Amino acid sequence: MNFFRRVAVQWAERYRKMSIQMVLSLSFTAVAAAGILLMGISLIWRFSSVSEQMVAENSQRVLAQANMNLDSYLRRMMRIADTVYYRVIKNTDLAEGSYTNALGLLYEENRDDLVSLAVFDSQGTAVSSVPLSSLKTAADPAGSQWFQAASRSMENLHFSTPHVQNIFDNPDAPYRWVVSLSHHVELTRDGVTESGVLLVDMSFSGIEQVCRDVTLGEGGYLYLINGDGEIIYHPRQQLIYAGLLEENNLTAAGYRDGSHVERFQGQSRQVTVKTVGYTGWKLVGVAPTSNVLGSSPQLFLFGLSLLLFAIFLMAFLNFLISARISDPIRRLERSVKELESGLDVEIEEGGCYEVQRLGHAIRSMVSTMRHLMDDIIRQESQKRRSELEVLQSQINPHFLYNTLDSVIWMTEAGQQQEAIQMVTSLARFFRISLSRGKNIIPLADELEHARHYMNIQQIRYKNKFTTQIEALPGAEELYTLKLIVQPILENAIYHGMASAEDDGRICVRAFREGESLVIDIEDNGLGMRPEVAASLLDEDRPEVRTSGSGTGVRNVHRRIRLTFGEGYGLTIMSEPDEGTLVRIRLPALTREEAARCQQGEVL
Amino acid sequence: MKRNRFEMVVLSFLGALVILSLVIPQLVRDEGRIQPLALSVLFRDTESSGWAIGRQGMEQAADELGAELRFLNLTTQNDGEEQAELLRREAEGGAGALVVIPADSVALSAILIGGGVSCPVVALESPVAGGAGEVVLDNEQLGRRLAEALLEDWTSGPVLLLDTAPGCAGVTARLEAAGEALEEAGVDAVRMESLPEDGSADWVMTFERSATLRTAERKEAEGLSFALYGVGGSTAITAHLERGTISAMAAWSDYAAGYLAVRQAVEATREPGRELEPLPFFILRGEDIYAPEYQKLLFPVTS
Repeated sequence: MNFFRRVAVQWAERYRKMSIQMVLSLSFTAVAAAGILLMGISLIWRFSSVSEQMVAENSQRVLAQANMNLDSYLRRMMRIADTVYYRVIKNTDLAEGSYTNALGLLYEENRDDLVSLAVFDSQGTAVSSVPLSSLKTAADPAGSQWFQAASRSMENLHFSTPHVQNIFDNPDAPYRWVVSLSHHVELTRDGVTESGVLLVDMSFSGIEQVCRDVTLGEGGYLYLINGDGEIIYHPRQQLIYAGLLEENNLTAAGYRDGSHVERFQGQSRQVTVKTVGYTGWKLVGVAPTSNVLGSSPQLFLFGLSLLLFAIFLMAFLNFLISARISDPIRRLERSVKELESGLDVEIEEGGCYEVQRLGHAIRSMVSTMRHLMDDIIRQESQKRRSELEVLQSQINPHFLYNTLDSVIWMTEAGQQQEAIQMVTSLARFFRISLSRGKNIIPLADELEHARHYMNIQQIRYKNKFTTQIEALPGAEELYTLKLIVQPILENAIYHGMASAEDDGRICVRAFREGESLVIDIEDNGLGMRPEVAASLLDEDRPEVRTSGSGTGVRNVHRRIRLTFGEGYGLTIMSEPDEGTLVRIRLPALTREEAARCQQGEVL
Repeated sequence: MKRNRFEMVVLSFLGALVILSLVIPQLVRDEGRIQPLALSVLFRDTESSGWAIGRQGMEQAADELGAELRFLNLTTQNDGEEQAELLRREAEGGAGALVVIPADSVALSAILIGGGVSCPVVALESPVAGGAGEVVLDNEQLGRRLAEALLEDWTSGPVLLLDTAPGCAGVTARLEAAGEALEEAGVDAVRMESLPEDGSADWVMTFERSATLRTAERKEAEGLSFALYGVGGSTAITAHLERGTISAMAAWSDYAAGYLAVRQAVEATREPGRELEPLPFFILRGEDIYAPEYQKLLFPVTS
């Protein structure tokens, strides 16, 4: 079990490392090979079945032919016996004549098939015989099996099994193998009938010739047995007699006519049996099933060759098809990898429909990604530029020069207290501007920064305007983007208060409105037309880098939107001779939210 | 690139398998064609009619195993030297294997042990040292059993043992065993090379086929009255047995002996020879020859 699990894990591991082409090729080839194998087995099974049937039919046909020949031969012998009996014995009275001449004629007519013709009386004494007449000294016809069989069953003709002719003395051809046909006959002697036995000794060669030339395919043969299974003819009969070979003849005697499969001496063979009419003998055809099933090495190798060729062909086609399917995917993968490594590549949209769609989707995604990245880069660039501009504006040399000039002037005029206040405010102003590099600072700091700026400007403008800066309850603890109020105030001073007659007023008021922090900077200066006020925030407005040109206001607006999104920023409301209200809207940031925002998290 | 190489390897491997499976049948077919083996059979007789049945067995085996037989007789009966010379000549002449019915077992053994013959030699009838195999009887047991058959009939007088093939170990072993059995039974056994001129003997034993046939023929021709017990198996000897000229005969299946000898010789050219069990033999009297089990062995089924 562990072994299988280990193998499964190994395969899963290999599968993960395989290319799509390899997976496709191997899967297709494995499935095709399994299919071909299954088909091959099925064909072999079918072929074997058909072959077996054909061999059986062929054996039956051959046996039928052999049976016909053998039957014809035996019938000829039986006709000879009938002729002897009905035409010679029945018509001859032994007191008046002899059978010898008639038997001699019959013998001469059939001498190729016959060894002898003889008639014996009931005591076994030879009445007449041809061509041999001299009995062996020890001959005992009455004791012979053929004689007793004829005497027992008088109506029938009896065929013996092959035996050596042992009745007559034959100096020319002693010990010939014969098959004896015996028949009970009635002899007439002086008008009186008596029992006798007719013996027709057939030459064994007649039967041998009928059976010998029968072929049943390679390794196949035919043999002949009697009803008890005793062998009458076998192509290797003498080897069986000598005990060097065995045959399954006794089992075959029990088979019915037809084809049977048997296992003998470890060999499976198809045995076809056909009973020879009248005698009860059986022709047995034997064909090794190795021939029947066509399992010769040649055929097996041919089948294997076909199978391997089919697998080769399938593998070749599979490799081609899988390459065609997977190549666009591989090219796509390569493009994505190159894209990952930062190269500017063209995503290809090739292959089949799904792959094309995938390529198209990736291409579209890459395009979107590039746009987004460009946007991000542009935004970052803008943000950085805005911040730099803000910082630069804070260290505006004119502002610094004017402020320091004012300090000198006040010192020379003996207004030391005012000079000290101005220098103090300037120091605080720059400290808060730096804020240790932080971008988000407490609202209190931002308002203080504005307050110090206004202190300096009020001294410079000799209190031509008043300032009110306050944070309403609920807003004091909030955080804000730094340096967003000062540029608005600068704009208000240069546009709203420059021409004021000591009644100028600038109010800065911070309050919480729901989830937003709102900072209103309101002045009662000259104001402007609403369309001019609206154009101040227009990104397409040409840049004019002078004090109070509106660039600072636009920078603030842009910075807020880059940091917190499109929902935040500035709103300018103004009417000529009425004044201007600039409203800054920011998210209401708590300390924790401000810290997170400082670390770059998107709110 | 790596994947393409893998595919090429797989395809090449499969292609090689296809080609191999197409080529192998041709190779198998070529290897399957076994060249016929030239096999010489050397008798110890001047003519081999006594071995007619044995020859049928040899021919059957040669037919089955793909051998071509050459039967060679001696010009002089049991001439060991001539047979040895013939043996050398056949071996040098390219015979693939030899079957020998030794005329002089000792001389033949010396040649074989001395490596005088390069091809396998199988001995028939008498054992020979140094051969690739042998098809023999239990000769001592045969001689003893034949003597016992004689003793069943014996009334009085010495028994003449004809020593017609003194160089043939198998024949000598039969003779000596028969002599011992007779002596054990208190019967005098006289060893002679041939029948006395006048044929004066009451009991005669022969231990080889040709001697049995010659003695039987002389007995019939001269009307001699001795009882003859011999080794036989040929049709002519069996006819003498049937007629009563021979009282009892030791016989075996010559067909099986010939078949096994050739089979062993052919097998010896392909693999080391196997030792065979001694051939079974039987003692027959005239009335037994038509018994089904004996007639099948004595008379080969031929047309």
